[in-house]
Amino acid sequence: MTAPPTQPIPLPRKPAASTTSMLIVPSLIGALVALALGIYGRVHSPTGIAINIAGFSSPGAVKSWLATGATVFAIVQVGSALVMYGKVSRVTAPEWIGGLHKWSGRIAFLLAVPVAINCLYALGFQQYSTRVLIHSVFGCLFFGAFTVKMLILPKRGLPGWVLPVVGALVFTLLVVIWLTSAYWFFSTFGIKR
Amino acid sequence: MKRNTPLITLLAGAALGVVLLVASMLTTPSSAQPNYSAAAASSAAPAESATSAPAESSEAPEPAESSATASAPAAAPSPARTTPTRADFTGRVGGGGGSVAVAVHGDKAIAYVCNGSTVEGWMRGKVENGKLTLTGKNQTHLTASIHTGTVTGDVEAHGTDYSFSVPTVSKSSSKSSGLYQATAVVQGKMIKAGWIVLGDGTQIGSLETDESGETAVTAPKLDVATMTARIGNVVLHAVPVSGVTGSGF
Repeated sequence: MTAPPTQPIPLPRKPAASTTSMLIVPSLIGALVALALGIYGRVHSPTGIAINIAGFSSPGAVKSWLATGATVFAIVQVGSALVMYGKVSRVTAPEWIGGLHKWSGRIAFLLAVPVAINCLYALGFQQYSTRVLIHSVFGCLFFGAFTVKMLILPKRGLPGWVLPVVGALVFTLLVVIWLTSAYWFFSTFGIKR
Repeated sequence: MKRNTPLITLLAGAALGVVLLVASMLTTPSSAQPNYSAAAASSAAPAESATSAPAESSEAPEPAESSATASAPAAAPSPARTTPTRADFTGRVGGGGGSVAVAVHGDKAIAYVCNGSTVEGWMRGKVENGKLTLTGKNQTHLTASIHTGTVTGDVEAHGTDYSFSVPTVSKSSSKSSGLYQATAVVQGKMIKAGWIVLGDGTQIGSLETDESGETAVTAPKLDVATMTARIGNVVLHAVPVSGVTGSGF
């Protein structure tokens, strides 16, 4: 007699994590990053000076150029994301597009960090004009949003809209930051080294 | 992902930030060292296991990562501080291309921006809730806010715009640091000189060659011991402009 065919014993399924539960912790962490930067910017007495990079005409120029670089790489981010999601007609995503997206993102982030440190340390969180208030708030939000994006990337099972929305948010925040700083700087002082 | 590379990216950025912050603190001359309240230093709470905060020195409050309720950072609680009602501030503008001095006396303020030659201007105005809006001749203007012993803002004179963040005048480093002015009538024209003496004793001064203030040249050196300066055989007697003493207001 042959043994009866064994059926796989159905194991109790792990309850699928909901989108909300997967997003809560990263959102809280991102919010705390933004809040911490804002608090530091307010509590710390701005010194007016910070570590500098030679070869530029002024710290304002250093930051404006680095910020512009970060924004250019952020545009590459959006472009590569559109290609990755098949949103660009007649362009099929090449193999290296994922790598381009990741590396352009890393470079943009790492360019933004020294600018932010200099800004926080030398100037602090300010609100003496609308421009600086928006810049201060969005500057904090950007790093919070970027943290959220990095924390949700490894998560499986998120709905397809989450990453593009968070990515778009990060991009938008950075562009507004650029407009309220580097763009203002170059239009006020001219585009110079 | 086998290795959590996004997390590595995040931590690499945080580490870079910490290094730059510490380097900035080390390069800041001690007279400009900011004061941290104890509350700020303890803002680094223990982190979630998913992200680990970089090793922190006990002095520097750094961007920490841990859990909190989602809220806009615009609602960051402002620490209790007393806005000085009588104070003087001097310092270099961002980029070091000139300097600015602000004297706050109650709800009035006087400011002077000067690059030691043609870009300069005097401004007056009101102070409300720690915010200054000062204006002067030839569209010279300044907007700034006072916060924990520093005044931060923008100033524009003769088409040149500077941002600045300058500390309170510290008499311990240089007794003569502060803002000074002198007027005289030379060949029928009223000239006005302004000098900003910084904490390290450096003087930056300009001289308006007539009442309109449209042209300015480098001021003659101010002898801080006698409070005089000479142009040819004209002696200028300098008077301090100080919010602390009320002189010049």
